[in-house]
Amino acid sequence: MPKPEILHVGIDLGTSRSAISASNGERFVVDSFVGWPVDMVAKKVLKRNVLIGHDAVANRTMLDLHRPLERGLLKEGSEKDVEAVRELLRHLLGLVGVSTNGKVAPGSVRAVVGVPAAALRTNKQYLRNTMKGIVDSLMIVSEPFAVAYGLDALLHTLIIDIGAGTSDFCVMKGRYPTEEDQRTLTIAGDSIDTHLLQLMEERFPQANVTVFMVRDWKEKNSFVGEPKQRVTVTAPVKGVPTELDITNEIRAACETLLAPTIETMLDLLSRVEPEFQERVRNNIILSGGGGLIRGLPQALEDALKQVGGGRVTYMEDPVFVGSDGGLALANDAPESDWEKLSA
Amino acid sequence: MKAEKIDRVRRRLLAEAVADNLATIQGLPPRALRTQRRLLQTWLRRAPLVLVPLMFVAFMRVEGRGSRVEAIAIETRPPAEASIIESPRSTNSQTLRSNRDTQRAALGALETPLAPVTTAAFPLSVRRVVLDAGHGGSDPGATRLALIEKHVTLDIGDRLRRKLEANGFEVVVTRSEDETVPLRERARLANASRADIFVSIHVNALLKHTAAHGVETYYLGPTNDPALTNLAATENRGSGYSLADMRKLLDGVYADARRDESRELAGAVQKHLHDGLSTAAPGLENWGVKRAPFVVLVATDMPAVLAEVGCISNEREAAMLTRPEYRQRIADALYAGISSYASANDAPQKKGT
Ligand SMILES: Nc1ncnc2c1ncn2[C@@H]1O[C@H](COP(=O)(O)OP(=O)(O)O)[C@@H](O)[C@H]1O
Ligand SMILES: [Zn+2]
Repeated sequence: MPKPEILHVGIDLGTSRSAISASNGERFVVDSFVGWPVDMVAKKVLKRNVLIGHDAVANRTMLDLHRPLERGLLKEGSEKDVEAVRELLRHLLGLVGVSTNGKVAPGSVRAVVGVPAAALRTNKQYLRNTMKGIVDSLMIVSEPFAVAYGLDALLHTLIIDIGAGTSDFCVMKGRYPTEEDQRTLTIAGDSIDTHLLQLMEERFPQANVTVFMVRDWKEKNSFVGEPKQRVTVTAPVKGVPTELDITNEIRAACETLLAPTIETMLDLLSRVEPEFQERVRNNIILSGGGGLIRGLPQALEDALKQVGGGRVTYMEDPVFVGSDGGLALANDAPESDWEKLSA
Repeated sequence: MKAEKIDRVRRRLLAEAVADNLATIQGLPPRALRTQRRLLQTWLRRAPLVLVPLMFVAFMRVEGRGSRVEAIAIETRPPAEASIIESPRSTNSQTLRSNRDTQRAALGALETPLAPVTTAAFPLSVRRVVLDAGHGGSDPGATRLALIEKHVTLDIGDRLRRKLEANGFEVVVTRSEDETVPLRERARLANASRADIFVSIHVNALLKHTAAHGVETYYLGPTNDPALTNLAATENRGSGYSLADMRKLLDGVYADARRDESRELAGAVQKHLHDGLSTAAPGLENWGVKRAPFVVLVATDMPAVLAEVGCISNEREAAMLTRPEYRQRIADALYAGISSYASANDAPQKKGT
């Protein structure tokens, strides 16, 4: 049990969105963008030394903008990315009332931070150093593990988390996931955006389209399989707002996910002990923003028919599953353990 | 599931998560690294799979420049036969060079067929075949005196083309003469042609094992173990490839839903190659179907294989390769492999299990 003055938090440090859930009941989500004003003028206009989340995206032209875990990894040696992670953490903590002069002092915070599986695999020590000194005690876990823990999906479950920078796959076998239980693909939300942008540039060379525009279109219209209706968007063509039918482009871009996702899913399933395979097949949880693509669960289920069928469930409210799972871990960890995990 | 069982599992997982973090704090090799070390061992055990073909490529390069020739014990063979490899006459096969620009425009165009969910759901009917005669122009490939890989592959490719065409296939060639065509360009040409399969023809040269001779067929794959791709990506960080490049490349491999098809095609080609040649070449070893990251296979959209149809480094085999009848035999064997794959696909059965 936490001492009254101790605050437990679960943080999901995502490639595109980061969320925090705190034991005081507060929950927040921000875009994982950190930006510093590029010069004195920008600093004067913005009146801040650093901007986080939506603010940062909105003012990106005046900022040196960083997405510290962009490809699911924290680039080693990039001071700016390290600093961006720290700013992001401080910002999230500030949102739930943690600050040096606020209600809760950072020294009484115990945090579980979920990071993309690939980041944990490749730079665990580096991540830990990066987050040093921000909270009292710190535990870093992989994001899919936090999700599984939060959902009590610890046994015979396959989590497929399609985020922005990475798609993380994790089979829960009742043990802390090992290398062989997990896979990471960089075919995910961002790669769809890149692909879509490229298709747009090829088909409408005159149109003026940015990655931020295509991401927005994707998030509103994403689908795989047969289109239910045409997708039309408005974009400036030679400066004139023009309606464009991008049904085929949206579909083609979203469907780039299918083959790798299916292959990875089937591969992981094939490595589950035979007597448990059916259970795992019927216990596939799709999470992350990319999981919102219409028709995706169905396409995965169709692919599962080859191996005897299965069920794919989409997490309706994926925003906080990771941070809630982190919070559950923080709450469950015994006092004695927390004392050893000082940061 | 019983609540207490879940509780037990929860406690155990939590304890493991804590232990993992404590290990990091204490600077012990973290869990992931310990696993990686194990993977490294697996990797080293399997490295030859990947490295050997890369070595061939490297070796062919070197040898191609003529510096290796003397290093191989060569019993001089009259090169006369080698030089009579006909340079293929102009053909009625589509040579893509003529309208590369149009093709280029078509590349990545929007009517590009969307990636199928599974290959089983979209059985292929093989009609159009891309034949890729290895090397050419300034890149001779492996050489042994006057016997030069680029000529051998072109000749076999041409024989195979005629045979395929005579049997109702459409054939597209990536080169029809002794010209330099970069690997990437070959893949682009193949993709633009919307062909059903891609067959690259090469001749092996083994650096050390000049006594060995065999045939082998490759299909694309970075390793046999997806877990290793992660490790490879990490290990390759200092290699000039960025981690992102590497990942992109490897993801591209995963993206290839037709990999199973490639493996089947490779299996068919390999079987017929070995069966068809071993009577004429006693002792010819069957080195089987292998996976390797050949650039030309990485970039092609269709099921793609690379056949090493012989060993120029083996004296007897080099001699045989100079004979038109033997090259015809190779073409026939390749044809048998392709057509058996094609007919299997015309009567689709359940695959991928
Ligand atoms: N409706 C949608 N359809 C397709 N993609 C979406 C949708 N909503 C969000 N996304 C994409 O999901 C990704 C963000 O997912 P998220 O799980 O928040 O990522 P991360 O955990 O990596 O921060 C982004 O690439 C975003 O564009
Ligand atoms: Zn070659």
